[in-house]
Amino acid sequence: MTTVRDHLDRLDGDGDLLHVEDRLHWADELPAVAVEAVEANGPAVLFETPPGHVRLVSGLYSGPDRTRVPDRAPWRRLAVGLGLDGDIPYGDFLRALWLPRVEGRPEVVATTETASVDLDLYSLGLPAVGTQGPPAVSLGLLVVADDDGTRWVPARGTVRGGHRIRVVVPAAAVADLDGRASATLALGVPAAALVAAIARWTGSGTGVERVSDIAGALDDVAVVDTEYGRLPAEAEVLMHGVVWAGDEPPAGPAEAWEVGTETAVLKYRVETVETRPDPVVPFSATGHPLADDRQLVSFVEAARLFYRVNNYWGTRPVEWIALPAEAGLGICLVASDVLYAGFEWQLANTMFSFSRLFDKVVLLDTEVPPMDYGRAFDDLWVKAHPSHNWQFSEPDAPAASVPSYRADAATGSRLYVDATWDPTWEETFIAPRVDFAHSFPAPVRRFVRDRWAAMGFTAPLVEAAMALEDGDPDDADD
Amino acid sequence: MTANSLRDYLDGLEAAGELNRIEQPVSWNLEASAVTTMAALADDVVPMFESVAEAGAEGARLVGDPYRGPRRRPWDRVAAALDLPVGLDRATYYEAVIDRLQHPVEPVLVDGDDAPCKEVVLRGEDANLLAFPWPYLHAGDGGRYSNLHTLVAPDLDSDWTDWTYHRAMLHSASTASLLLLAGEQTPNLFYYGYERRGEPMPVAIAVGTEPAAYFTSTMWIPTGRDEAGFAGGLKGAPVELVECETSDLRVPASAELVVEGTIEPGGRLDEGPFGDYFGYMHGPRRSMPYLTVDAITHRERPIIPFCVEGIGVGHTQNTTTTMELACVGPDATLGLRAAGFDVTACVPWPFTPRTTYTVATDTPYPGYLHELANFIFTTWGMLHVDFFVFVDADVDPNDPSAVLRAIALHADPDADFHQFGVEQMPKVPLNIYQTPAEKGDAETGTSKTRTAKAYIDATAAGDEPDLALPGPDDDRRAAAREVLRTAGFDLSLEPRADEVDA
Repeated sequence: MTTVRDHLDRLDGDGDLLHVEDRLHWADELPAVAVEAVEANGPAVLFETPPGHVRLVSGLYSGPDRTRVPDRAPWRRLAVGLGLDGDIPYGDFLRALWLPRVEGRPEVVATTETASVDLDLYSLGLPAVGTQGPPAVSLGLLVVADDDGTRWVPARGTVRGGHRIRVVVPAAAVADLDGRASATLALGVPAAALVAAIARWTGSGTGVERVSDIAGALDDVAVVDTEYGRLPAEAEVLMHGVVWAGDEPPAGPAEAWEVGTETAVLKYRVETVETRPDPVVPFSATGHPLADDRQLVSFVEAARLFYRVNNYWGTRPVEWIALPAEAGLGICLVASDVLYAGFEWQLANTMFSFSRLFDKVVLLDTEVPPMDYGRAFDDLWVKAHPSHNWQFSEPDAPAASVPSYRADAATGSRLYVDATWDPTWEETFIAPRVDFAHSFPAPVRRFVRDRWAAMGFTAPLVEAAMALEDGDPDDADD
Repeated sequence: MTANSLRDYLDGLEAAGELNRIEQPVSWNLEASAVTTMAALADDVVPMFESVAEAGAEGARLVGDPYRGPRRRPWDRVAAALDLPVGLDRATYYEAVIDRLQHPVEPVLVDGDDAPCKEVVLRGEDANLLAFPWPYLHAGDGGRYSNLHTLVAPDLDSDWTDWTYHRAMLHSASTASLLLLAGEQTPNLFYYGYERRGEPMPVAIAVGTEPAAYFTSTMWIPTGRDEAGFAGGLKGAPVELVECETSDLRVPASAELVVEGTIEPGGRLDEGPFGDYFGYMHGPRRSMPYLTVDAITHRERPIIPFCVEGIGVGHTQNTTTTMELACVGPDATLGLRAAGFDVTACVPWPFTPRTTYTVATDTPYPGYLHELANFIFTTWGMLHVDFFVFVDADVDPNDPSAVLRAIALHADPDADFHQFGVEQMPKVPLNIYQTPAEKGDAETGTSKTRTAKAYIDATAAGDEPDLALPGPDDDRRAAAREVLRTAGFDLSLEPRADEVDA
């Protein structure tokens, strides 16, 4: 079980959590610090002296810009939040993240640690988004009970009064909402619950109906059955109230899960607020390209595509997939074996079929290390022939959701760039890579390794560069 | 203080703790290159090989990728060489270099007795290329190379002298082939001037010049303008030149070593294969003009700098990559402005030298980007470049994420990808997307088949919604950064322009 507090403790232990003691204003100072921390590829930030009742933490699911900081994994914090090893390789992380296709069994506990507090919403001290506007709810989970059980739904909102919030949720989740319904807005829920809700209600879903079951497959999540339905037991804040259809969306930028998802606007009247002692609530610097909400969608969508494409043709050709948040989720990188001539066309169009977010796919050879954007966005330019390997479809494809053009949803072209070696080429046409392992024979590599420190270098030798893919330098090329 | 010689520069690096003088014997045969490669991968300091096994000339030394910049701030060592303020942000650094290039300083001529590069003068059989420790850089290379130097070549019809950095592959004690690819200035001088008229071309290879001289050798200095004046502008003082022993060419007097030679018309020797700048072995070997050595002059204990070509892709820097980011980019920006294009900046794609550039610019009239792209593509040296990406003037072209977002969000595959598939443009064979048959082995070094030169309009169209959220204002950002600093976060690697004491 990885609660938000467990998550914070692990990040703290890793030196990936900054404690800010300054008392900052919720409307501008505190959001600016969150934005600046992401901008500077900094750690998660825990605001210890809150402007209101709750402590706040930003960057809990974010990570560094991989185009600028290649040696730190942007998926690390989310992995830790899911109870995984922080050093988990990217491919294993994708596989772990796509457990939503499996039903789990969340542990049912008797009570939560929350207690009712007599506060209005302003007193919680939630931050604005982008240094302006009202207090905002980000990374929220709306729990709506109905006759069939309880739905956990990703939610964003803004406070519109002491007891009112405008909320946006996936439309499909509330399509059958008739009049008013009781609902609970949960903040500070475990990462597994957030991931599960996004996976369930965005894109092509997961195949598993109940988000709490998906969350239970991702991590040991505890739930509690209450008069408000089945709630995440470890939530830091639970706001119980009533929702009904609204017409004016919450202020501020959309969270990434809203892009490509039909959404519905709700009005929400909060009747009671419960919090854990000394509650801590994560929030997203929504609007920043690397904000938490965007990284979450980046990994969930990549994991979904990874699972689907590798269970499509009876073989698993794809090594890794990424939707770089750095590229606004508008470019999909696919590192794959090219099984036969023309497979690249099939593969690219499969990606377009499985996701509506993007209209640009870059195909890479499997020798490109996972999430090595330096290498990926080098091969894009040097390996793909500008005449032959930039392939534009006929202009009758549906518009993608992420780009800013074709906002009228008019049809248009899609593009895939084939930056893989042509499978029809003779082996002798394939240019050898220049790198440490391939450009220097084993005795020379050993010379460097054995004398590195004695020669006076202080930076750690890059061990990963030493070996050929098919053997240790001690065995190779002697 | 501006470095007036390679030695000055290396001393400055050492004083800053950025040079590793290695006293242990290291061979020129792959070992020096391998150590330099690992130093680049580890983002460690610059290696200087004080004791080169089988060096030949007494006490000759090597230095590996001396201008390689630190990964997070690749322009820093170039800035230090030019005595620019420490810690400049990228945009300020760009403008500082541009400002200096706009104020050239003409060179001065010094006597041979005052020229360090003539401490030792070798002629005839004593002028032996193999007596120096030229490195063998990658297993599979066609030979040993000099590839971090200034090639000095004269125009047949004017007083113009061109400085470039075309590499040389050793063949014998007295011959070395030169990578002369038509479409660039010096190759054009040779192929369409000297060779057509059947005249030998005198050349000199100045190895280990003062930094400013090398920097301008990598830039796109206009035809007819001597790089020497721009080098003087960069350093803020005249470059000292000295006449060669066997021709009237003038070379930087500060050089560690000068090879004087002649390229005969019609002569060809193999060049390559070679681990090339784009990160792959370029092959097959091809026929290229070659120089015959007439004389060699050098300093005592000469220092031969080299670049491990091919490793400067992705996140790894080498001299080529750093020269692109720190020298070619500002120079190209100035060149475009001088041509009437009011661009904010022209910046090389950081993971791919010499192939793709991003230009941040306003679009003042319809067709402007087409005109701009094809103006650039038709200039000299553009046979290497395949792509331009245009972004709005308020997008930071130095930020690869910002550029990728612009491509992803603003470049419509229907309307904004231009000239892809228009296979009518020339290309150098230094690429991996053409087959050997497509590259051929043309006399003038260009590929036999054409390619496309494409550009991407990643600017936001007028009717596109603004996707950027207004961020905190500068005062708020500064205050926020102070909060982070107070909490213990080191922001020194991510300075903002207003935090730099320029």
